[in-house]
Amino acid sequence: MKRTLAILLAAPLVAAGSIAAAQDYPTQAITLIVPYSPGGGGDTVARIVADRLGEELGQTINVVNREGAGGEIGIAEMARAQPDGYTLGVFGYPDNIVLEHTRDTDFDFESFEYLAGFDLTPMGMFAAPGAPFDDLESLREHAEAQPGAVVVGESGALGLLAILAFGDELGVQLTPIRYAGGGELMNALLGNHIDMASTSSMSHDPITDAGGTPIGFFADERMDMFPDVPTFAEQGVDLEMGVGRVLVAPAGIPDDVRDRLTEALDAMSDDEAMINRFETAALPYQYRDHDEVNDWLEAQNETYIRIIEENEEHFEGS
Amino acid sequence: MDTLALLGGLLAFDVLLAVFAGVLIGILVGAIPGLNGAIGISLLLPLTFALEPQVGLLLLGGIYMGCMYGGSITAILINVPGDVVAAPVAMEGYPMTQQGRAKEALYYSIFSSMFGGLIGVIVLILFTPPLARFALQFGPAEMFFIALSGLIIVGALSGSFLKAAFAVLFGLFLSTVGIDAIAGAERFTFGSAELRQGISVVPVVLGLFCISEMLLNIGKKASEQVTYREQDISRMTVIRDIVRRYWIVVKGGTIGTVVGLLPGVGTTLAVFMSYAEAKRSSKTPEMFERGNPEGIIAAESANNATVGSSLVPLLALGVPGSPTSAIIAGALVIHGIILGPSLFVNRPDVAFIFLYGMLLTVVAMTIIGAFGIKYFSYILKVRMDYLVPTVLALALFGAYSLRNSLFDVGLAIALGILGAVFKKVAIPLAPIIIGVVLGPLIESNLSRAMTIADARGMPLVQYMLSSTLAIGLLVLVLALLVVVVQMRRRTALAEAEASRRTSSPDRRVTTEEA
Repeated sequence: MKRTLAILLAAPLVAAGSIAAAQDYPTQAITLIVPYSPGGGGDTVARIVADRLGEELGQTINVVNREGAGGEIGIAEMARAQPDGYTLGVFGYPDNIVLEHTRDTDFDFESFEYLAGFDLTPMGMFAAPGAPFDDLESLREHAEAQPGAVVVGESGALGLLAILAFGDELGVQLTPIRYAGGGELMNALLGNHIDMASTSSMSHDPITDAGGTPIGFFADERMDMFPDVPTFAEQGVDLEMGVGRVLVAPAGIPDDVRDRLTEALDAMSDDEAMINRFETAALPYQYRDHDEVNDWLEAQNETYIRIIEENEEHFEGS
Repeated sequence: MDTLALLGGLLAFDVLLAVFAGVLIGILVGAIPGLNGAIGISLLLPLTFALEPQVGLLLLGGIYMGCMYGGSITAILINVPGDVVAAPVAMEGYPMTQQGRAKEALYYSIFSSMFGGLIGVIVLILFTPPLARFALQFGPAEMFFIALSGLIIVGALSGSFLKAAFAVLFGLFLSTVGIDAIAGAERFTFGSAELRQGISVVPVVLGLFCISEMLLNIGKKASEQVTYREQDISRMTVIRDIVRRYWIVVKGGTIGTVVGLLPGVGTTLAVFMSYAEAKRSSKTPEMFERGNPEGIIAAESANNATVGSSLVPLLALGVPGSPTSAIIAGALVIHGIILGPSLFVNRPDVAFIFLYGMLLTVVAMTIIGAFGIKYFSYILKVRMDYLVPTVLALALFGAYSLRNSLFDVGLAIALGILGAVFKKVAIPLAPIIIGVVLGPLIESNLSRAMTIADARGMPLVQYMLSSTLAIGLLVLVLALLVVVVQMRRRTALAEAEASRRTSSPDRRVTTEEA
């Protein structure tokens, strides 16, 4: 009884405390969770953003890597965190949506407040150096003549989704094959053990250096970095798939804390030094503010959920 | 890049500092059970963002080189391989320690590491383009045969054949738990989310090698503890002896180089292959697992050779050959350095300093290893009452840190108890690790071969034997099988001979220990 009373008496104080905290947020260091190991693209985006956003807010932002289970461990930790603005997260969309719809996860799309998006790295299809096709038309002819003969490697759920959606759109049967990591996938492609690889557009240079050919990228417009590579959209295959790193907070953060963050993000979004750091790390910078990122995510969600539901047999238990 | 500029770049203070610091950190994370090179590198990676690219790279390269050696120190001194690649070193090194030859074993270990490291890095410097093309020829069929040859090696280890077969099958069984990597079916998961993620090598190694050894140490009297005896043996004697057996070093270095080239295969296979080959070609195979320096030479030269060669596909094609080199690749990208052949054209300063700097990491490893032995041996002065809890705590911490999972901690403890029981009934532990490491490799490559053969509309056998390399590897697998059977017969004869001739008490002790 005494305890209940104490809690009742303390509740308004706690609430008042959090309001006060929100007004002059941030008053202490912020933790930024990354669900991947150091060194990858997601980690790099997190570190660049942490440095610049920290300056903007006048507080240190500590990047913490919580890798494992394809990002599930770290993303779940973001969802569980106190929604007070002192724990934020950066992950590569659509990792969360793929995990949510293929596993029994502790989070869903609504577990997060999406604050901003920073980059978009489209997925691409690359033909092996010895493949009997080198563009979309010859690929389509080849795949139509021999259904299932084109073996396409992938090293992650997004790569598999791209193969399935691509085959559906083209109306041809492709044979997907899984590799445990990007290195193994590249080895298989460059050694002509498979015909095509479904992987990030960032693999362009090593693949073309070794004689492989990009068939196209799943983007709405050509990339500045690779202006010669056609998009699939311009070739009549209307698919946009790629990894976009987003900054999130746990759902339920106070509105004024959210606004403070989005204002700071907008203010720093055209900072040249920061954009340079993105470009040096070969990350195509493409800022989306709070409203834009939410519209974009909603549209993308539809595509991914549809592909996953149509190809359920490929995702059982993965 | 001319020689003078290269030398100037290499001898810069920050480069040398990075090399020595990296190697020292590598030796430490290698020696601590539960930590390994990949963990050490990911911990220090953020630091390299602030450094010049070549300095940061050499810091990471130093860790990679150092960690391949560090695991051997604890393997030799307390029979706890700090890392799975040091498991064969424990099989020879710890018996040597028990015989009072710890210093000798440590010397063999560091100098063989030096030779192996040099072979790998020289290969990296001289033959990167042709070797990278060679590595590309390994498709599902070739990988399958290579992994199969690794399984056969188990037969070459000593002890009962049935017990070894049981151990390797147990390892293969552990590797099937979880979601099957190709079709996505759940196996032995009993609806548990943790089991669905599968059993990874780290808690298995920690449990079987580390926790089990510590459990068996509990209750040992102080007088039973192995103590460090100062031996009157000079470094040059050991180096001369290794050079005399250069054939083992060359074979170990070659096996390490070739296996290191292949993405996803890992160092463990190379180390055991080289160890088994040394035993096969030895004049005294029955002395293996009783303190034979030849085993240490073979294992150490192979594991350090993989460091250089796993960087070959990375630098030549942008394809990382091991998890550790994949993290190094990540570090390069952050500096805006794109890997592949263009690296040597676009950023020769970084590429060449990194290449030749890897030679410096071998030098640094040798200096720290050869002169640090006195300090390493302090481990043996620690009383068991302190050593056991410390090592156990580190092992549990290591098991947890891999995936932040308490399940892995429980798994490591359970396997530790099982490992202690296995040791008591003389079931060898190394084959379990070989099974866990090779199981997924064999299965996923066979399954890929089936998918591709099906897509191409040809029978599986025809696809598996469609390249000369694959046929060559199949011949190797069959030859290994014959060799292993002969070897066991020879060893059995030699042992029978030995036990008829001698029945001295200390001889009996070693047999029981083994």
